[in-house]
Amino acid sequence: MPTLLSVFDRPQDVAAVVTKLKGRGFNDLETYSPAPFEEIEDAVDPRPSPVRLFTLIGGLAGVVTGFAMQIWMSLDWPLKIAGKPYASIPPYVIIGFELTILFGGLLTLVGLLFVGRLYPRFRLDPAYSMRFSAEEFGIVVTCKDRDVSEVDALMRSNSAKEVSLVDA
Amino acid sequence: MPDLDRRDFLKLVGLGAGTATAAGCSDPIEKLVPYVVQPEEITPGIATVYASTCRECEAACGLHVSTREGRPIKLEGNPEHPINRGRLCARGQVGIGRTYHPDRYEGPRADGQATTWDDAEARLLAAVQANPGGTWVLGASRGPTIDGIIDAVVAGGGLGGRVVYQPFDGSALRAATEAVFGVAATPQFDLSGADLVLDFDSGFLDTGLSPVENAAQFAAARDIARHPDGGARLVTIGPRLTMTGSNAESWIPAAAGSEGALALALARAVASKRGVVDAALDAAIAKAPALSAAATAADVDLASLEQLVDAIAHAHAVVALPPNPAAAGTNAVAANAAVLLLNAVAGSVGSGVKIPRGPDPRAAAPYAEVQALVDAMNAGQVSVLIVHDANPQYSLPSASGFSAALEKVGLVASLASLVDETSVEAALVLPDHTPLESWGDAEPRAGVRSLVQPTIRPLHDTRAIGDVFLVLGRGLGVSVPSGTTRDIVAANWGGGASFRAALVRGGSFSESSAGHASVETGAAGAIGAASQFSGSGDYTLIAYPHSYLGDGSGAALPWMQEIPDPVTKLSWRSWAEISKTTAERLGVKFGDVVRIDTGNGAIEAPVYPRGGIRDDAVAVAIGQGHTVGHYASMAGDGSPGVARGANVAALLPAATDEGGGRAWLATRASLTKSGAFQRVALSQWFDNQRGRGLARQVSLLALAGGHDDDHEGPHVIEQPFERANDAAPGDPYRWGLTIDNDRCTGCSACIAACYVENNVPIVGETNAIKHREMNWIRIERYIGDGDTEGGEERRPHPDREVLGGEVDVRFAAMLCQHCGSAPCESVCPVIATYHTPDGLNAMIYNRCVGTRYCANNCVYKVRRFNYFDYGYDNWPGLLSLMLNPDVTVRGQGVMEKCSFCVQRIQLARQPAKDEGRDIRDGEIVTACQQSCPTDAITFGNTRDAKAAVNTRVDERRSYYSLHMLNTRPGITYLAQVKRVSEESHS
Amino acid sequence: MTPPPPATAVADMAQSSPAFQDSKINRDILNPTRYVSLPWLGLLLLAVLGVGQAVFSLGYQTYVGLGVAGYQAPVFWAVYIITFVFWIGIGHAGTLISAILFLFRAKWRNAINRGAEAMTVFAVLTAALFPLIHIGRLWKFYFLIPYPNQRGLWVNFKSPLLWDVFAINTYMTISIVFFYVGLIPDIAVARDRSTGLKRVIYAILCLGWQGTSGQWKAHTRTVLHLSGLATPLVLSVHSVVSWDFAMSIIPGWHATIFAPYFVAGAIFGGFAMVLTVMIPSRRIFGLEAYITDYHFENMSRFILFTSWIVGYAYGMEYFIAWYSGVEAEQTSFFLRAFGPYWVSTWIMISANCIFPQLLWFKKLRTHVPTLFVLSVIINIGMWFERYVIIITSTSRDFIPGAWGLYIPSPVELSILAGSFCWFAMFFLLFIKFFPIIAITEVKELAIHEKYGGAH
Repeated sequence: MPTLLSVFDRPQDVAAVVTKLKGRGFNDLETYSPAPFEEIEDAVDPRPSPVRLFTLIGGLAGVVTGFAMQIWMSLDWPLKIAGKPYASIPPYVIIGFELTILFGGLLTLVGLLFVGRLYPRFRLDPAYSMRFSAEEFGIVVTCKDRDVSEVDALMRSNSAKEVSLVDA
Repeated sequence: MPDLDRRDFLKLVGLGAGTATAAGCSDPIEKLVPYVVQPEEITPGIATVYASTCRECEAACGLHVSTREGRPIKLEGNPEHPINRGRLCARGQVGIGRTYHPDRYEGPRADGQATTWDDAEARLLAAVQANPGGTWVLGASRGPTIDGIIDAVVAGGGLGGRVVYQPFDGSALRAATEAVFGVAATPQFDLSGADLVLDFDSGFLDTGLSPVENAAQFAAARDIARHPDGGARLVTIGPRLTMTGSNAESWIPAAAGSEGALALALARAVASKRGVVDAALDAAIAKAPALSAAATAADVDLASLEQLVDAIAHAHAVVALPPNPAAAGTNAVAANAAVLLLNAVAGSVGSGVKIPRGPDPRAAAPYAEVQALVDAMNAGQVSVLIVHDANPQYSLPSASGFSAALEKVGLVASLASLVDETSVEAALVLPDHTPLESWGDAEPRAGVRSLVQPTIRPLHDTRAIGDVFLVLGRGLGVSVPSGTTRDIVAANWGGGASFRAALVRGGSFSESSAGHASVETGAAGAIGAASQFSGSGDYTLIAYPHSYLGDGSGAALPWMQEIPDPVTKLSWRSWAEISKTTAERLGVKFGDVVRIDTGNGAIEAPVYPRGGIRDDAVAVAIGQGHTVGHYASMAGDGSPGVARGANVAALLPAATDEGGGRAWLATRASLTKSGAFQRVALSQWFDNQRGRGLARQVSLLALAGGHDDDHEGPHVIEQPFERANDAAPGDPYRWGLTIDNDRCTGCSACIAACYVENNVPIVGETNAIKHREMNWIRIERYIGDGDTEGGEERRPHPDREVLGGEVDVRFAAMLCQHCGSAPCESVCPVIATYHTPDGLNAMIYNRCVGTRYCANNCVYKVRRFNYFDYGYDNWPGLLSLMLNPDVTVRGQGVMEKCSFCVQRIQLARQPAKDEGRDIRDGEIVTACQQSCPTDAITFGNTRDAKAAVNTRVDERRSYYSLHMLNTRPGITYLAQVKRVSEESHS
Repeated sequence: MTPPPPATAVADMAQSSPAFQDSKINRDILNPTRYVSLPWLGLLLLAVLGVGQAVFSLGYQTYVGLGVAGYQAPVFWAVYIITFVFWIGIGHAGTLISAILFLFRAKWRNAINRGAEAMTVFAVLTAALFPLIHIGRLWKFYFLIPYPNQRGLWVNFKSPLLWDVFAINTYMTISIVFFYVGLIPDIAVARDRSTGLKRVIYAILCLGWQGTSGQWKAHTRTVLHLSGLATPLVLSVHSVVSWDFAMSIIPGWHATIFAPYFVAGAIFGGFAMVLTVMIPSRRIFGLEAYITDYHFENMSRFILFTSWIVGYAYGMEYFIAWYSGVEAEQTSFFLRAFGPYWVSTWIMISANCIFPQLLWFKKLRTHVPTLFVLSVIINIGMWFERYVIIITSTSRDFIPGAWGLYIPSPVELSILAGSFCWFAMFFLLFIKFFPIIAITEVKELAIHEKYGGAH
């Protein structure tokens, strides 16, 4: 199936086009943008990013690990220190807190890599080019041969600078 | 950089974090080699104890020498010995170091080359045979047996003679006793029954005739439990506040050398109050000056003297102690006689002052005889000089011309075991054993015979002095007893059973009835002379005996160098004590160097301005200024031949007293600012405790339950908590200490004991300057309750002493308090310090990474950090052989501190466990407690109500240091008793 | 579905229509990475030499023993801990700018937050060295980590120092993550505009970033969450550092005000450091168009504000010391101002409370040379603040008989100097190889300005 790439200047246009495309059932599309623009991202997929789940899980894991580790280690070989209880909770809050942050942060990163499908690679999408890391926007639509003209028209009618077939 | 060994390797790889982890686990494999044939008297791990005698000073205290696997590792007092009753002073404690000392001669030497004993003794014999009459023996007394051998050889061989030389000859006191009581002996002073002690600069607590014995008696006489009225008062009379004086109630700052006249005037005044029946005594004190005249002469105010006269008149048992040899001038005999007469007037002869029946055996020769020998040497009449147990080259006044005379002697033979200024001049060195290696005996007083027995096989190729003289004697055809020194000692001790008994007990102790004597009619003859001073300066030069260095022999021992002087808290150097007024006049501050010039010579020393010295005096301690020796000189610090500090002898004239004895106090000096500044190791920079109640005082009124206004600060001290609680609930023990500040004299025996017992390293002067001493226990010296003044100075020094009047010096031993809620424990990130079930604040050296957080957070500042690899590098020579195998030697970068002698606790645990009982009270004695001459420290289980550590707690005086911080210390202090205010009330 | 894309080799990814004109923003900001400037090279050389001499000093100290440092009882902590606290403090401004200001949507931060974040990371990397340099047995540092060992020993979680270990490591990790996440799109920009090895490295580092909507959505969300985590973290970290002192019992340390006081001080000093590093780099790389005086002015406002907080803390310490009625506290603070260390105390007060008052004047707030000098003065002042807190307090504590003085030793000073070089080295390398300004964030603003739009 053919893949069309269209290039825009204004984020609003991109958002508009994406909405229209999806309206017409062209769901196999992707956008490239040089900077984050909520309107585009919501147009492509209105659902909130699952990254937040990772953060939550990480944080919970951290606080549990933190307290569990400290309490267990203090009781594993109980030594009297300055007349304090072997496992005294107040001082343990600090490390519990730090581990919450640490695990939360690390899992958030994992979330980003997972959700954003980020991994070291040299092969990028054929449609991607450095102009999208400049100041231009792109939309890639894959559609059936018979729809090509329709999509093309729709793009151009929405102030696409250029529309081209990505050679497959 | 030395070639890399394991430790250094570890340090280096430690730089690379990754490799460190690997290297941390790479401890080397060390083999434990068992005895092939197990010696029956040795149980590995258990100390074998031998009884012997301390030879560090004339007092001749009894020793118990603990040896481990054949090595002496600790000296303690012999409980059966009548002199020290199981206690031992700082000097005695560290005497053990001589045996392992890096300065020791490893064999005989001739003309600077190592040689064999046969050769060395042949040379000596030949030289002596060549001219027996020109052969002289110069050295200190070595006790009856060895003195007997030497005398026999000297007499039988027709040698020129023997001069028994001791820097502090004590002849003045003997002469005075002879003049007053007709016996040429050293009286024996007993303070135990006294209620008023007059210290005429005698230094009886540290440098006197028998410090340990007198200190114990003094403490007994002041024991607040037995004497609710406070017991004996101490009045000190002299130009500077000594360690002994620091313990006094009041101080009469008499001009140096005026003590005699003062004593005589007092005697007369008291006599006229009391009325004296003894005619001879009357005659003796008849021509005494009037009190007013004496006051003028001594430059003290009359009122204080009159007050003292009243006190003496009202007192029941007065003991007046005569000036120590160094404090006596050209009228030393008169001065000593005057003090004895004062005792006679006070009626304490026979009780407080015991006059021996017979004269002292083998007493030191008066200085005049030494000078005569020097002149003979100068005249070339001496062909052979045999020097033993003395260092005349160092200790004789330069004015005596000894060093020049030494050049003219054909053959100088030294029997020193440690290198000293004299032995380096000697062509022939026949090194003697150290006391711990040799046989011998001592008779400190009639009836008290103390045995010296070897506790280790000689470490080096040395030979006992007795054997050397025996060989010499046989060579000369003298009929000396057969056998070796040991055989002769055995024979003198009755051989067989009685000898063995002596070996076990450490001697035979049957106090002979030294006691009363009446005043001779001719006593008056001794009186009258006034002290003469040579030189032109504005200041009287006071050369006083250092608390630890003695006549200079102590300077070789690093502990005596490093433990701060009890009064000034200075170490490792000489310093010049001048009054604050003098300092202002000269425009010098602490550490500025002044040049001290007498006609005879000049030295330079940093000044220590203090309130505790007269404006007309400059005081320098005797004992420093050695030019040879690893520790005694700067050799150990990398500059051999350079003197450490200055030798006072260079300043002194060759003056003598009426009896020919050596007069140390005989010259004036002029002071000039040199402009230089010297950093000095001062371990305590402030003597102001700022009202923080670190060293507290309780007045007699408060003790009696009355209210006392003239005493600030809390005197009835509440117990904020129960220290026995701070251990595991089920545990039978919570170890603790009770320290009675009222008994502490500041003598620092505990510090020395701790150093030896716990392998505490010596850090040397450069680090001592930076307050990096490692001592686990220190004694802080504060003046009064203090106020909130001061602390701003960049170059501070203690400055709160005042001249004369009421003395309010507080000594407080400071060591790990083993807190129940220890600030140090909670902050250690690696649990290198924690609280044991029996209440100890324990250190795990191997766990410590050296964050030093604990030291910051320790409010008592008792934690010590190993800035360098002390445990590894700081035991030169064979010193490492004296390390206590029960105590870990700490490595670089770890923290350490007092452990309550945990090794001794463990030692007591085992038998108790075997017998299925708890450890009994008194079974564990910490090193500091064991050494304390005044029994100020008590260790024990605070959970045992009947334990001394609890029973000795006197609620009226007990307090915890800084208890407001709620550290819950395991150490209870008992406040010092203030005996002055009560007097003024009555 | 999408057919597999043709194998486009790394080299081909640069291909684009001949008509293409790269954006000015990219060209300007990536400019520094294109060539080696002489001043940069010189500075880097100096930095490396500086680090070298410090490493030598450390080797010497570790081999011979800590005694070569100037420690004198009762002062057991000195330059190393001072410098540790100093660098940790520096780091905080970066996190504040990137995280807290992000949450407050303070858009002006965009131009400086990259530099600030970099500063944070490198400052923390510097600080993290000092606890190790400080300890007596460097080769046993791993005892501080709770790892299973056959001795069965664990660490003491009640010790503020251990809280430090965790706080610092967490802070270091999170800062690096935050920094890297922000960098990913910008590295992609650099990747598209470079060739050869550089391109390969960039390609690996940017994890195949293409700026698809999904990636952007995840990215924005991640940045938001990390900011949310970093904000309490940054406050906690310096609180924990302050508790190293506040939790102990020494007069002058044992104060509840320490946590807020230290945090404020950290931000104060950190902003000063941002100025100290950004002013020269802006000059050297001609980024005036992006880092404007407006940014500097905003930062000066912060500095002025925090200097008042710090000043208040100083005053409050003295008030409480007096009000407590505890003699030891009063003595400690009296001697702090008039004792042997009065010089450092007055340096601290003048540099941190008096000089910043100049910033009341807009003329000076916008006068860059003044700002630079002032920022340096403040950095010195903040270092002395820690010097005063640590040295004066320990040297005059509960036992007058044990009081002493402390003088830094050459070894300590050499390692102190080395720490600045270490920091500078990282920063110089960073500005050579990575965009010192957050390209995408600037672009976002630029495009919004150009075409308007949501927000």
